[in-house]
Amino acid sequence: MKKTRSIELLDQQQSYVRKIIATTTLVRQEDPELLLRPPAPGKWSVIETLEHLNSYGRYYLPAIENAMKESKSSQEWFSPGWLGNYFTNMMLPKNGVVTNKMQAPKDHRPPADLDVKPVMDEFLKQQNHLLDLLEAAKKKNIGAIRVPISISKILKLKLGDTFRFLIAHEQRHLVQVHLALQACKSQLAKV
Amino acid sequence: MLSPTEQLKQFVQAILPLDEVVLDAFAENWQPFECKRKTVLTAAGETERYLYFVLEGVQRSFYIGGHEKQEATLIFTYPYSFSGVADSFLTRLPSFCFFETLTASKFLRLPYASLELLMQQYPFIMQTILKATSLTLHGVLKRQVELQCFSAEEKYKTLFTRSPHLLQMIPHKYLASYLGIDASTFSKLLGTVKITS
Repeated sequence: MKKTRSIELLDQQQSYVRKIIATTTLVRQEDPELLLRPPAPGKWSVIETLEHLNSYGRYYLPAIENAMKESKSSQEWFSPGWLGNYFTNMMLPKNGVVTNKMQAPKDHRPPADLDVKPVMDEFLKQQNHLLDLLEAAKKKNIGAIRVPISISKILKLKLGDTFRFLIAHEQRHLVQVHLALQACKSQLAKV
Repeated sequence: MLSPTEQLKQFVQAILPLDEVVLDAFAENWQPFECKRKTVLTAAGETERYLYFVLEGVQRSFYIGGHEKQEATLIFTYPYSFSGVADSFLTRLPSFCFFETLTASKFLRLPYASLELLMQQYPFIMQTILKATSLTLHGVLKRQVELQCFSAEEKYKTLFTRSPHLLQMIPHKYLASYLGIDASTFSKLLGTVKITS
C-alpha cells in the first residue's frame, strides 16, 4: 500500500471490522455442534479459530491503547512502513482466498474444551473495542505512534500498520471460519 | 442544481419552516462523506455517531440474529432524507442493528455532539428534530401493523402503491426481506399482482 489519507485508512479499517462483526453475528446463529466440530482431523473448529483471534486481541488491544496514550496529534497523510506492508500482505487473503498456510505460535494455539458463548462474546466485545480504538486514532498520529509486535517486543509497527496487520489477520481467519462451516455442514448433511 | 447544503436546507424547511439565521446555523457544520457500495457504516453494538443526510445512493438498516430468519431489512433510505440508526443516535444506546450502503453513496453528516449543541441553542432546531422523529415513529408503527396483520400480497401492494420507484431502485432480495416474505413468494407476486395507483 502507498501513502494514503490517515482518515481514509481508519474509515476503511473500521468498515472491515464492521463486516467482521456482521459475519460473526451471522455465524453465531449456527448450531453449536457445528461451531465446535473440527472440519477435518487436526483442523481448528470455528470456535477454536475465533479463540485464536481472541488471544491476539488480548495482546494487541491493550498494547494499542497503551501506545495511544502518547499525545501525538493527527497528520493528514500516512505512509506505511515496509515491515507493516510485509506483515499485512502476508496475512491478507488474495481475492478472498488464503494460499500461504502458516503455523500458529504455541501461545496462540487454542486450548481444548472451549464453549461457544464465552468465545463468541469475547470476540464481538473485542471487535467493538477495536472500532472505538480506530475512532480514537483519528485524533492521533498513526505514523509516529508505534506498537511493539507480539512475537518480539523490540520490533515495533506504526499504529496505522498495526491496525492493518491485526485486521488483515482477522480477515484471513474469517475465510477459514467460512470454509470450516461449509465443510462441517456438508459432512453433517451426509450422515 | 442545488448544492448539498441547499438540498439539506430545503429538506429541513419542509419539516418545519425556520428563520434564515437558525437554518444557516443548522446547516453549517455538516461534513461531506462518501463511500462505496456495501460499506457497513454502523455495526450492532456501536452507538451511532452521525445523523446522515442522503444525497446519493440507497442504504438499509438490518438486523442479524433471529433463528427463523438469518437477517431482516428494517429500513431503506435514499435521497433526500435523513439516515443512520436513528434510535441509537438519539438515545446514545448501542445499536441493535447494522447500517450499510447498498449502492455507492454520498452524504452530509453531523456528529451527535454538534446536533446536541444546536438543539440547546435553538429551540426551533429541537422542534424540527422532534417533528422528524414523530413522523418516523408514525411510519414505524404503521409498518408494524402491516407486518403483523397484512398478508404477503397486501404488504406487497401497500408498499408499491406508496413507493413504486423502490422496485427499480432496490435489489428484490432486500425488498423481500423488508416485507418479511421469502424471495420466491416475492417473485410470484411480482409476476401476478398489478399495481394501480
